[in-house]
Amino acid sequence: MAEIFSTLGTWNWLIFGFILMALELLAPGIFLFWLGLAALLVGLLSFVINPSWQTQLLLFAIFTVAAVPAWRHFARSAGSRSQSNPFLNKRTEALIGREFTLEKPIVDGTGTVRIDDTIWRVAGPDAPAGSRVKVVQADGASLTVAAA
Amino acid sequence: MTGFDIFAIAFVLLVIVTLFAGVKTVPQGYDWTIERFGKYTRTLAPGLNLIIPYFDRVGRKMNMMEQVINIPEQEVITKDNATVTVDGVAFFQVFDAAKASYEVANLEQAIIVLTMTNIRSVMGSMDLDQVLSHRDEINERLLRVVDAAVSPWGLKVNRIEIKDIVPPADLVEAMGRQMKAERVKRADILQAEGQRQSEILRAEGAKQGQILQAEGRKEAAFRDAEARERSAEAEAKATQMVSEAIAKGDVAALNYFIADKYIKAFGQLADSPNQKIIMLPIEAMSILGSLAGIGEIAKATFGESAASAAAAARRTSSVPNTGPTPPPVAPQR
Repeated sequence: MAEIFSTLGTWNWLIFGFILMALELLAPGIFLFWLGLAALLVGLLSFVINPSWQTQLLLFAIFTVAAVPAWRHFARSAGSRSQSNPFLNKRTEALIGREFTLEKPIVDGTGTVRIDDTIWRVAGPDAPAGSRVKVVQADGASLTVAAA
Repeated sequence: MTGFDIFAIAFVLLVIVTLFAGVKTVPQGYDWTIERFGKYTRTLAPGLNLIIPYFDRVGRKMNMMEQVINIPEQEVITKDNATVTVDGVAFFQVFDAAKASYEVANLEQAIIVLTMTNIRSVMGSMDLDQVLSHRDEINERLLRVVDAAVSPWGLKVNRIEIKDIVPPADLVEAMGRQMKAERVKRADILQAEGQRQSEILRAEGAKQGQILQAEGRKEAAFRDAEARERSAEAEAKATQMVSEAIAKGDVAALNYFIADKYIKAFGQLADSPNQKIIMLPIEAMSILGSLAGIGEIAKATFGESAASAAAAARRTSSVPNTGPTPPPVAPQR
C-alpha cells in the first residue's frame, strides 16, 4: 500500500488527473472533475517543488475541497444566464401576468378558471363568473388572481 | 509506515467520500427534498447543488413532469342497474415536491383509489345511455372532484379520461339488435314511401294520359262533326247545283249519273273475293230500270239505230220496264 503512494510522482499525478477527467465524462457527477483538476494541480506543483508523497496527498485533498467553492463561483456567474426556458416544469409560474375568464365565481376566496383545457382552482377576492382575472402569484399548484 | 502516512491517506479518502456525499446533481424534471436529521428543510432544484454532508440527506426524488397513470378496470353499476366495466387514465403533475413527498404516502396509489371511487359515484348516478354518450361530462366531473381532493398534496390533476366503457356482452348484443332493427325500420319505411310515391306518380301519369286521350277524342269528334257539317254543306251545295243543272237541262243526265254509280257499286260487289252469291233487294231491281234512261241518252246521242239496239237488249232482259225512278239522294262521304 505504502509503496503505491511512495512512488507517486509528477507524471503519475498528471496521468491520474487525466484519467479522472475522462471518467467524469463517462460517469457525469462533477466531483470526479474536481478530483482530476486537483490531481493535475498537484502534478504541476511537484514540477516546481518536490514535496513528499504524504504532502502530495494532503495537497490533493485540499485542492479538491478548494475546487468546490471555486467551481460554485464559476457556475453561478456562467450558469445564471444559460437556461433558455426558465419555466420548464414550472407551469404555474409561466401563467403569471396572463388574464383569464372566471369559469366559476370566486366565493370565499376560491373559484375556477379554465386554462389549456383543464380546470385550475384560483384564489383571490370574490368575483362573479365571467369576470376577467389576472394571475398575480403562483405557489406550486395554486394560483392567486386579482381583478384584471 | 508512520501515523502521518496513514493520516494522509485517510484524509484523502474522507475528502473524496465527503465530496461524493455533498455534491448533488439534480436532473431537469426532478426536485429532490433534503432532510436534516430526518426533517424536511429544503428542496433542490435541477442543476448542481451542494448539501452539507453528515447533516443533510436526500429524502425523496420527486418527478416534477406530468405523469400518466392507468386507472385499472373496475365494474360500475349504473343507475339503471347495468354493470359496465370501466377503465381510464389520469394525468397529474407535482408542483410542490415537499407536499407530494410528505403529505401523502404512496402518491400514485392514492390518486388511483381516489379516481376509482369517484368514477363509481359519478357513473352510478347516470343511466347506461348517459354513461355511454356523456364521456366529456363524466371526465369533467371526475376532474373537478379529484383535482380538489389532491390539492393538499401539492399536485394537480390535469385530466382524467375514461378509456373504455364495456357493457356486458348480452347487453352489447341487444344494443346491436336494437340498432339493426332501427335501421331495418328506416329502410322499410323508406321503401314503402318510395313505393307509394311511385304508385302515385304512375296513377297520375295514367290519369293525365286518359285526360289527354279524352281531350284528343273530343277534339277529334269536334273536328269530325265539323267535317260532317262541311261535307253536308258541300253535298247540299252539290245537290243544289245538280238540281239546278237538272232544272236547266235534261233529266236524262241525272239518270246517267245514277246508273253509272249503280254499276260501279255492283261491280265492286262482284269483285268481292269471298262472295259469289249476291243478295239484292227487290228495289234494286227497279233501279235497273234507270237503264232505260241510259238508252234514251244513247238515243239522243248516237241516233235511232243505236236506240233500237238498246231496245232489243232491253227486251231480252227479264227486268220489267218500270221506267226511270228517281233514287234517293244519299250524302256522299
